[in-house]
Amino acid sequence: MAELDEAQRKLTIKLVYYGPAMSGKTSNLTCLHDLLSPELKGEIMTLETQNDRTLFFDLLPLGFRTPTGWLVKFKLYTVPGQVVHDATRKAVLSRADGVVFVADSQSSQGVNNAESFQNLEENVRRVGLDFETLPLVVQFNKRDLPNILSEEEIQARWSAAPWPLVMASALTGMGVKSTFITLLEAVYPALDKNFSLQKMLGTDIHSFISTATGEPCGNQS
Amino acid sequence: MEISPRGYERALSLHELLSGVVPEKLSAALGSLLGSPARVVSADGSWALASAQPLPMGARRMPLFHDLEIAGYLETTSNDDAHVRAAAMVLESIMRSGARYFMASEMHIEVVQADFEELKRKHEALMASEARYKALAEHLEARVKEQVEIIETAHRHLYHAEKLASVGQLAAGVAHEINNPIGFIRSNLGTALSYVQKFQSVAQYIKSCNDAELIGLWQAADLEFVMEDFPPLLQESIAGADRVTRIVADLKGFSSVDQTEEELVDLNDSIRSACNVAANRINSRADLKLSLGELPRLRCKAGHLSQVFLNLLLNAAQAMTQRGEIQVRSGIEQGQIVISVKDTGCGISPDILPRIFEPFFTTNDVGAGTGLGLTVSRDIILAHGGNIDVSSAIGAGTTVTIHLPIDRRNK
Repeated sequence: MAELDEAQRKLTIKLVYYGPAMSGKTSNLTCLHDLLSPELKGEIMTLETQNDRTLFFDLLPLGFRTPTGWLVKFKLYTVPGQVVHDATRKAVLSRADGVVFVADSQSSQGVNNAESFQNLEENVRRVGLDFETLPLVVQFNKRDLPNILSEEEIQARWSAAPWPLVMASALTGMGVKSTFITLLEAVYPALDKNFSLQKMLGTDIHSFISTATGEPCGNQS
Repeated sequence: MEISPRGYERALSLHELLSGVVPEKLSAALGSLLGSPARVVSADGSWALASAQPLPMGARRMPLFHDLEIAGYLETTSNDDAHVRAAAMVLESIMRSGARYFMASEMHIEVVQADFEELKRKHEALMASEARYKALAEHLEARVKEQVEIIETAHRHLYHAEKLASVGQLAAGVAHEINNPIGFIRSNLGTALSYVQKFQSVAQYIKSCNDAELIGLWQAADLEFVMEDFPPLLQESIAGADRVTRIVADLKGFSSVDQTEEELVDLNDSIRSACNVAANRINSRADLKLSLGELPRLRCKAGHLSQVFLNLLLNAAQAMTQRGEIQVRSGIEQGQIVISVKDTGCGISPDILPRIFEPFFTTNDVGAGTGLGLTVSRDIILAHGGNIDVSSAIGAGTTVTIHLPIDRRNK
């Protein structure tokens, strides 16, 4: 649940990039750091092992100030994908306001994707969140690689699922920003319901998203 | 809804962010880099790096950002923009590094704690599962013991049943073979008696006639005595034949020991028949006294119970070191049939008393007994829902008491 500091007029929104090992969660954050130009943008903090595998998490802080003087902060986290780090995944996932599930499009990764998604569902329940209402976007990454599932196949497989699907390539930047925007579109209504965001911040969903991404017109690209 | 974050998400103060460096050294280094006095203060001014003196008015302030917000200021009188910006960047890098350390350690603690809790939970689950298996193992041992006991009992029964079957067959064969001749012997003896009476009627006539030669012959052959002795002789023989007939009938009763059908019997009959069968062994050693109370007819395996009574009687007889007395009582006590066999024999010593029901335990010489008599007797009584007790005193004798429930079938 987002952290609201009324004394300092500060709203912190936690977004988590979840998914199997090596599916490109950290690449998503790196890419977002380059693509987005909000008013406030921090450096990516990575906590990794020597071989570039995420140990605890990566963190990208973004933010902007609203006309009403509120500071809105986004904290984008990644979880470590390796199975062994489940306790860390759980800790990172707690209090999340929204989740991007980064799946690996390679046809050989189906089992890993499924296991990780199931792990997400379990951990969501374990940290006391509601999987039915949690804002979630499913991103199929690595569209630039050969031997990947076709988009039709993926759409067919996920047709019964309620979550939006985004095709992406974190290496080329394709679909990374739209994944983020799609997530914000899901997160805003949930936060609005809890905090009356529009009244408090003086922003509607369009200006909220465009300010967060640094796109004046807020169109999705 | 406000939830204050904890652990790795906690907001960090400038003091915490710079806790990894030696304040005096950093402060001195900043002064040297900028070529003028410099100090680092927190955003709200409550904390300053090292014990730097407040700078004179007109000093410039460079904001130090952490996590998108101003965490503090670099204050200096230096006018060298590039140097001040570089110094601020160095400070921000140090702060980031500090934050990285804080977050990593907080996360580490959280993960270790979670892993430990998980481990504890698993350990408890394992202990519970171990306890379950332990209980199962213990239970298993008891079950095996139980099964072994059942098998041993069955084995004993089989052994005994086979023995009884052969004894029964023999007894049935002998009884059948004796029954026929004893029948015509008994019948012929009766006929002979009536013949003697006919002779006696003729004897009166001979004695009263005057034929001296006939009377002389009569007296020479001592036929007077013969005529007198003949009827009691035959009477005794008839009594003997009757006794043989009775013993044969009792033997036939024992010949049915291998039959497992239950029947309604008066146990006093069974006791009497056992006494008859054992009479020969008993009479030479002891006086047998029966005091049998009235008993209701009991549905039971009569052949088996007769075997028990015979066993007890033979044991009692065997216990006699000198001529003594064997008392058999029967009666009703508290709704149970109670039958006791009491002897005045040698008694059983206390150290072997607890073992007398053990299979193959015997004080007889090898070959004299199998040591199964009392074991099987107890099995039979238990099978009828009753119990058997032995009390004994060395030199004074032994009493075996059997209790049998009457209404076992009605329950």
